[in-house]
Amino acid sequence: MPSAAFTDWQNDRALRLNEVEAHCATVLALVPPNLTFLDETLRGFVLHLSAHFQGFCRDLYTECSQAWVIAIPAGFQPTAQAQFSARLELEKGNPNYNNIKRDFNRFGFLLDLHTAHAPHVTHLDQLNQWRNKAAHQGTKPLGGGVPAVLTLPVVQGWRASCGVLANSLDGIMRGELLRIMGTAPW
Amino acid sequence: MTTENSAEPLKVGTAVKILNSGYGAATIAEYRGPLGPRGVRVYRVRVQDKPRPAYIEVREDQLQVLDDARDLRPTGS
Repeated sequence: MPSAAFTDWQNDRALRLNEVEAHCATVLALVPPNLTFLDETLRGFVLHLSAHFQGFCRDLYTECSQAWVIAIPAGFQPTAQAQFSARLELEKGNPNYNNIKRDFNRFGFLLDLHTAHAPHVTHLDQLNQWRNKAAHQGTKPLGGGVPAVLTLPVVQGWRASCGVLANSLDGIMRGELLRIMGTAPW
Repeated sequence: MTTENSAEPLKVGTAVKILNSGYGAATIAEYRGPLGPRGVRVYRVRVQDKPRPAYIEVREDQLQVLDDARDLRPTGS
């Protein structure tokens, strides 16, 4: 059974991203081609994808923290919730691997998505670099293996990787909370 | 009276008190969704304005809706 956050990722966020992806495909098929509009549309897809992945991570973090908090006495709960809510990286920062780790490591373990999913973590890094370039109208070449030009297959690959990472993070957190609390959190 | 099982989520700006906490009057900043155990609603609550805003995420059953944030009177029994 998945978390509410992952269920939402699959049943709501995926549908919204499908709409954006379909729009990109429509623009890609325009005759004659409109490369400027296609570039703008793909940049929009990148921003939507990064935002939805960030939203998923934030929702999962909240769901995990509330599951953890319910296991302690009521008098302690607001204190613990204040600690869980304070200075979250995912509140303002990109959903990059370092920020995800910093927030989820608060549960008392070291999150490792890289060992099992190195290519997907690399995709997430590339997505966020392009997200920042698009959001801030960056002109500097990204380098470091990041695609120089956005194409629909590239963004589709990043989207697939976000799905893999979301599924993995959901499973990892379920396992960790089960270990900590002795009962499944969802 | 706490707000558990209300028909609709609390609106942004609603004055509340977080039960079992030392926080005074606070306000609903955001409805985060049914992210609590067994789908309980969770809210982001603004507990402080100055020197900088501070927020805490709590379950609906931890909130007491206030008639008037200035005197912290509850709305019901």
